[in-house]
Amino acid sequence: MSLRLGSLLIACLFSTVITGVFTFADVAAAAQLPPEQVEFFENRIRPILVEHCFGCHSAAADEIEGGLVLDNRAAMLKGGDSGALLVPGQPAQSRLAAALRYEDETLQMPPDGKLPAAVVADFEAWIAMGAPDPREGAALAPRDIIAARALKHWAFQSPKLAPRPAVENQAWPTTEIDFLVLARLEAAGIAPAPLADRYTLARRLYFDLTGLPPTLEQVTTFQTDQDPQAYTRLVDQLLDSQQFGERWARHWLDVARFADTKGYVFTADRNYPHAYKYRDWVINAINRDMPYDQFLKWQLAGDRLDHGDDRSNLAAMGFLTLGRRFINNTHDIIDDRIDVVFRGTMGLTVGCARCHDHKYDPIPAADYYAMYGVFQSSREQQDDDLPLRLVDTEKPADSRIFLRGNPANRGDVVPRQYLTFFTGEQPAPFQQGSGRLELAEAIVDPGNPLTARVMVNRVWGHLFGGGLVRTASDFGMRSEPPIQQAVLDHLAASFMQDGWSLKRLIRTLVLSSVYRQQSKVAPEVAQADPENDLLSHARRRRLDFEAMRDAWLAVSGQLDSTVGGASVKIEADPPSRRRTLYAFIDRQNLPGVFRTFDFASPDTHTPQRPQTTVPQQALFLMNNRFAHDAAVTLADRQAGDGDTARRIGEFYAAVFARAPTAAELAIGTRFVETPETAELEHGPWQFGYGRLLDDQGEDRTVVRFAPLPHFSGDAWQGGPDRPDPKLGWALVTAEGGHPGNDQDHASIRRWVAPQAGEISIQGELKHPAEEGDGIRARVVSSRTGVVGQWDADHQTVGTNVATLQVQAGDTVDFIVDCRTNPNHDSFQWPVSLQLAGSDERSGRRKWDSKQDFRGPGPVGLTVWQRYAQALMLTNEFIMLD
Amino acid sequence: MSAEFDLTDRILSRRTLLARSGMGLGALALGELLGEPAAAAVGNPMLPKQPHFPAQAKHVIHLFMNGGPSQVDTFDPKPELQKRGGQKLPDGNLKTERPTGDLYPSPYTFQKYGQSGIEVSEIFPNVAQCVDEMAIIRSMHADVPNHEPSLMLMNCGDARLIRPSVGSWLTYGLGTENQNLPAFVAMCPGGYPIQESQNWQAGFLPGIYQGTHVDTKHRQIEKLIENIKNDRVTRSQQRQQLDLLAELNQRHLDARQRDAQLESRIQSFELAYRMQSEASDAFDVSREPQHILDMYGPGTQARQILTARRLVERGVRYVQVWHGEGQPWDSHDDIEVNHRRLAKQCDQAIGALIKDLRQRGLLDETLILWGGEFGRTPVVEMPKKGSNQGKINGRDHNHWGFTVWMAGGGVRGGTVYGATDEFGFKAVENRVHVHDLHATMLRLMGFDHERFTYRYAGRDFRLTDVHGRVIKDVIA
Repeated sequence: MSLRLGSLLIACLFSTVITGVFTFADVAAAAQLPPEQVEFFENRIRPILVEHCFGCHSAAADEIEGGLVLDNRAAMLKGGDSGALLVPGQPAQSRLAAALRYEDETLQMPPDGKLPAAVVADFEAWIAMGAPDPREGAALAPRDIIAARALKHWAFQSPKLAPRPAVENQAWPTTEIDFLVLARLEAAGIAPAPLADRYTLARRLYFDLTGLPPTLEQVTTFQTDQDPQAYTRLVDQLLDSQQFGERWARHWLDVARFADTKGYVFTADRNYPHAYKYRDWVINAINRDMPYDQFLKWQLAGDRLDHGDDRSNLAAMGFLTLGRRFINNTHDIIDDRIDVVFRGTMGLTVGCARCHDHKYDPIPAADYYAMYGVFQSSREQQDDDLPLRLVDTEKPADSRIFLRGNPANRGDVVPRQYLTFFTGEQPAPFQQGSGRLELAEAIVDPGNPLTARVMVNRVWGHLFGGGLVRTASDFGMRSEPPIQQAVLDHLAASFMQDGWSLKRLIRTLVLSSVYRQQSKVAPEVAQADPENDLLSHARRRRLDFEAMRDAWLAVSGQLDSTVGGASVKIEADPPSRRRTLYAFIDRQNLPGVFRTFDFASPDTHTPQRPQTTVPQQALFLMNNRFAHDAAVTLADRQAGDGDTARRIGEFYAAVFARAPTAAELAIGTRFVETPETAELEHGPWQFGYGRLLDDQGEDRTVVRFAPLPHFSGDAWQGGPDRPDPKLGWALVTAEGGHPGNDQDHASIRRWVAPQAGEISIQGELKHPAEEGDGIRARVVSSRTGVVGQWDADHQTVGTNVATLQVQAGDTVDFIVDCRTNPNHDSFQWPVSLQLAGSDERSGRRKWDSKQDFRGPGPVGLTVWQRYAQALMLTNEFIMLD
Repeated sequence: MSAEFDLTDRILSRRTLLARSGMGLGALALGELLGEPAAAAVGNPMLPKQPHFPAQAKHVIHLFMNGGPSQVDTFDPKPELQKRGGQKLPDGNLKTERPTGDLYPSPYTFQKYGQSGIEVSEIFPNVAQCVDEMAIIRSMHADVPNHEPSLMLMNCGDARLIRPSVGSWLTYGLGTENQNLPAFVAMCPGGYPIQESQNWQAGFLPGIYQGTHVDTKHRQIEKLIENIKNDRVTRSQQRQQLDLLAELNQRHLDARQRDAQLESRIQSFELAYRMQSEASDAFDVSREPQHILDMYGPGTQARQILTARRLVERGVRYVQVWHGEGQPWDSHDDIEVNHRRLAKQCDQAIGALIKDLRQRGLLDETLILWGGEFGRTPVVEMPKKGSNQGKINGRDHNHWGFTVWMAGGGVRGGTVYGATDEFGFKAVENRVHVHDLHATMLRLMGFDHERFTYRYAGRDFRLTDVHGRVIKDVIA
């Protein structure tokens, strides 16, 4: 595979025509035109073109707009994407003149303001005289201009191993990349940051390689290991763990826009039944250190590879098939596959060429439709035990170009073949089936300048908190060059030479001195290397969603470390204890917690996750059941033996894998020994049974009230059975309830006034049954006694109470008894209480029995549990030095 | 101009954070200028930002009549249709989703309102009172007569591909004025509309710009906003816990150099603490005085529309109010009964919203948009197995022509823009595509839709893609 080196002519053209400088060659050409016309052009037209048009319409422009260049006569006559620019001799029919006149709102040039009328008139006159233009040369297609520029683009040159540069500090480098980094640091007069201590290194390494925190024991073992090879051995041990594959599989799933569902497909089944097998295949392949070139080939063309008796590798094809279904629109499904393949593996935005030639990169629309033909010639096959996969169709066929991306508007047929810029003058159409296998081979060909670089950069990004190339999936001509190209190229070249081993690549990186620097940065270094482009120190990083959630599970002792298997809804109640990687990803309605924590969008390929800090993250960790469960489990497991200091020590060991300092011990002690000030409030309603004691004398009416002990899910009642052997039929529901079997077991809904004031009560009592002797309802205030009494006998009656004075803590009871027998006594009695005369500031002032109906209240967190939660909320726990 | 809205400038990259930490006072000053503590200014993508131009509107309330309200029964009276009921259209019917038949006159009467004398249907008597505040666009058109692509087009500017919703674009571009509330709220009683959360998706923008879905069937705050309530600790216990956290974090920070990333996370807990009470307050309409509750009227629509006002009043950027789950306005049958019922559910509250915002001085900075994903045919829908019940008294989907109206922030009130043909089928005069509506909304919010871009996958994306024309005639 060689870069296209033709079109030398184009390169030459750069130096002359484009700059707009009047040259000798032009004078010769101009000789054929009447001199006064040449003079008119040179004086009235060319300066305007240079000043007002070339910014967007010249081969030298950063960005060529509308496919139009105005660099010479031929180009001007050719026009741009919208067609001809001018008709010589016919100003009225020339779009150029119309654009300058600003007549049509959609066609106004230059865009930042109309030119003076005299200039417009000059152009009209010039067109009228036949648009005389002395500038020679062939019409330049923007496509050729881009291709010529692309020949020089750094990312399109093969990466080379870098020679080892000379450095002063011979002691610091441990790997080849350290020499490269150090040479630049020394040139800038900056010393690299000191190596991080072993505690920090252990945490960094465990999280980076396994996505889990080290235990105290693991940290201690490493800290006390005297062997000079201790660090290397730890690295190798972690690379060999199952958790390594889990951690790094998730990074690849971001690339693969993995999800368990198809998105919106009307009422069809949304689930991809075996999507998780693709995820498990990735874990397994990474753990086995499958060479990256093979890893890609299985995912792109596993159907064409020899899998022998082992069908498990066919799961790899989920990479292509597990995208969104776009309501089953074929064009969009194929577009998604082209996008994930090229941005994912080569950092090329081929999808940009769907509607027209790529604006910046050497990817004509024809290349897009060559790929379209490949995917159109692949059909889907659903096996019982595997994710959906692609197989070649019987009769592969080339596609026509869709003009402007419109399937109804077809242009030329393009052969199925690899990207033309990379194959030179004579592209070779694919021969085998759809061509997917040949595409895969072209992508992993050692001559491909992008594939290794893109992957190395992704790996770097995960280990160093940011890629050497900032746009991890766009290495095109608008991307910024790498901050250290020699490092990237060296790693890419050795990655390929070393058999595409991801484990060895990662091993090299984490063994480097660059990786092992501390994140603390001296002020003068921060000044000199503010963006850390020189890699003068490590970057402090926040744990991503998976590492954070897994760490909470791990340190609280809840983690279920099962590897692989069907996806689980981690946000369910109770929350799952599986690693976050196994979360069921519903791309249609992705639960809020994923978005809140910057999870990769499963809709399209994600080059790098955004990193935001928003209060919704804090709310989840403060208030979600997941966090409470972790706090409770952690506190219960580290129960101590009654000694506060020892228990705090155990908490620190579990959460931070270290002992607390004296100050931390003091802070913790003070916290857990602070006396409790308030009880958890369960709202103003209580649900029970009892009776009105109406023989207490004139000014003292009392209700005997006991809470109903059992909650069935929709009713408070005597026990699991109805009727309860002891308490009979007495029950309270959201709507109403049922009185018990006698006057001692009336159904009572109690409201406890949270504040003083005058309330009014609205209610409607309904006894729907046709049979029985009806019911009796009473509203009783603990302050003033019975304030209302109603009978309902197969009817509905209003139960309003106009006004009632209450003090905070007073009770208002809604009592229903059965009269003489409890048969057919189900009732509905929704009531609402409203506090009069309060303003907006006084807080809640209306209570509704139906809305406020509740099951058993939650159990409050103990002070130790709150302490445990606080430790897991700290920056120390969530940030990686 | 994409650099102006380059995300890396906004969600400050780690690299920039380190740089800022070296700058010390510089970062502090930046934060204070923005009216937030320095730490919160860094890493929080929701801080308020300035658009391209001074904006007329700062907030949006989008009243989404999902399912597709009929224009000829609401805001686009057609005398010719009334006269020629039962006749065939002279040039045949335009193709819509289902078979259609003869011209079907509106069962409602229209009446002139306000100084502008714009005619409005009898089913929106309260909205009609506000007609002098409204710009009614009667010449809307979309691309296809199906709910899914039309919802996507109306909300995200593309019928099929994954693109950010208008609300996501605006929160990306403007941030929000109240860090204690979600910036973009999508309220829908009962669950989801068709296409579900894709209607308020962030697309390729960071997930934090996605709308927060609120099921306004509920009233309890914990059922409205996730994780907003802690039922296992008291407020004072939580305060003590966060004080402990702050102390531990401060010690951690002191042992390191100044690091905006750490400070920002410390700050986020204080924001979260405040959000708990502020959000509960914002969604609790029972705190409104009785005369305001009476003004909006009873029912779920009133509650959520009043909530919308409470939210924009508190600085929320974009509020979408869906009429209900599924597609309530999709009156293929019994349109007379159904449209009357649906309008009755929201008419009083919408009228109240406009008047209430006006009396609070908020109307000028709040852009209200009313409409569906498309309109309905002036011809009757014919029976088709499995779709309508053969009643022949409803209307099919119509993307050829429909009506939306805007009011408030920068909108020229008392305006009618564009027109459908004499029967109300197809937009024929001053046609306004959905892209044009978006361009106009962005303009009202202070953006040039051609310069408001986000670079993703090698392209500078716009809400309006390569389309869009600002409708200057509806701008005051």
